Amino acid sequence: MSAHRTLSCITPPFILTRLLDSDNHAIRDAALSTLLTSAQLRGERGVRSLIAGALVTPGDGRRSIFDCRHSTFLPSATLVRSEGEADVADVSVNQAFNGLGTTRDFFRTVFQRDSIDGRGMRLLGYVHRGRHYNNAFWDGQEMVFGDGDGEVFSDFTGSLGVIAHELAHGVTEHTAGLEYHNQSGALNESLSDVAGAMVTQWFLQQTADQADWLIGAEVFTPNIDADALRSMKAPGTAFDNKLFGKDPQPDHMDRFVELPDTDQGDNGGVHINSGIPNKAFYLLATGIGGYSWDAPGRIWYESMKASTATTEFQGFADITLRKAEELYGTESREQQAVKEAWSGVGIQVSTTPTLRRQ
Amino acid sequence: MRVSLTTHGGLAAAITRQLPPRVADTDQLSPEVAAELRGLIDAVRGDPPGRPDPAARDAMTYTIVVEHGPEPTTLTASDTAMTKSFADLLDWVERNAA
Ligand SMILES: [Zn+2]
Ligand SMILES: [Zn+2]
Repeated sequence: MSAHRTLSCITPPFILTRLLDSDNHAIRDAALSTLLTSAQLRGERGVRSLIAGALVTPGDGRRSIFDCRHSTFLPSATLVRSEGEADVADVSVNQAFNGLGTTRDFFRTVFQRDSIDGRGMRLLGYVHRGRHYNNAFWDGQEMVFGDGDGEVFSDFTGSLGVIAHELAHGVTEHTAGLEYHNQSGALNESLSDVAGAMVTQWFLQQTADQADWLIGAEVFTPNIDADALRSMKAPGTAFDNKLFGKDPQPDHMDRFVELPDTDQGDNGGVHINSGIPNKAFYLLATGIGGYSWDAPGRIWYESMKASTATTEFQGFADITLRKAEELYGTESREQQAVKEAWSGVGIQVSTTPTLRRQ
Repeated sequence: MRVSLTTHGGLAAAITRQLPPRVADTDQLSPEVAAELRGLIDAVRGDPPGRPDPAARDAMTYTIVVEHGPEPTTLTASDTAMTKSFADLLDWVERNAA
């Protein structure tokens, strides 16, 4: 375990930013942790934007994994593994490191995208966050993973789909920037699940027919009777047990769940109604056949880049139809499959704009 | 005094909100531990709450309800807007509550 050093707090931020590109590992890591620590401690907008700048200087998507040692305070975390360094004893650290690497390689190889922002943004992963922490999240700059409570949930780094889901939140933020509530939020959630599924299938080299289309199948302890957090193939069927009830995800617009746009209401059910576009992507991938990341993934990825902060299901569906036409031609097999996929979840798309429904 | 913790949102939002709250009752605690809990709660009450980061995705929110006297007190925080005092109280609840 390498105890890292932070550089003096009076080192001017622009010098620290330069040091990030040092060839010397120790210097680079110290500069990085100093920038992160000082900005989070002071919460200064100016420093945060400097960091944002430093993170987007071409870093080739270099990975840094930090150990929170069960604290919720990220600045006190220790840097335990950097790009180019070998496995460490801690399994969570290696899982986060490898999962972020696989996801980065997926975006680079399949979509020619250089990391989260398309410009080589550094990948910062935090593990062992909090106590009994049943979650993983993206905080706008970093990906953070809990160990789970050990009763219901286990280590969230154990799921490649979950790691890809979190990284993809960063990609969405840097492209469509979908607002995180109601339909645009559910679409944001769905894009992360789609990335989670594609990265997992790419890693396993599975076709759409071979894949299980489950998100987070690995995050439960063996005592728990649940298939996964979500099923893209059959939303609403990922779990059904006494402890936490039945999977509430809808698989069709007829069953769209209205929830309040509050914390308690999951911001209007962003993790609930994502079942609808999730199912549409599953239908597209199996409709076209082969690998999900080929034509289906390309259509979805280009559509995400063409979406805006307020795009909703219908608007996104319309964009996918247009992208399928641009990429594969009018009345192509791919475009027909897009139409059928959305129709399967109760959303009608047409190239005639006058038929557009709200 | 009774303290209960419920969580909302997060990657597993559909599940976490269904899980039973974690509860601690001071009647079942040693006087020292109960006093520690009171100190932690007072510290949270004295702190201004943090502001959530709008860029956060899958962040969880926490509701701690303190039942003591006629009016229950509700304390809330989220993953990206957590004061040191709330983090300390949350850590205590996670270590001590059933
Ligand atoms: Zn741990
Ligand atoms: Zn998410």
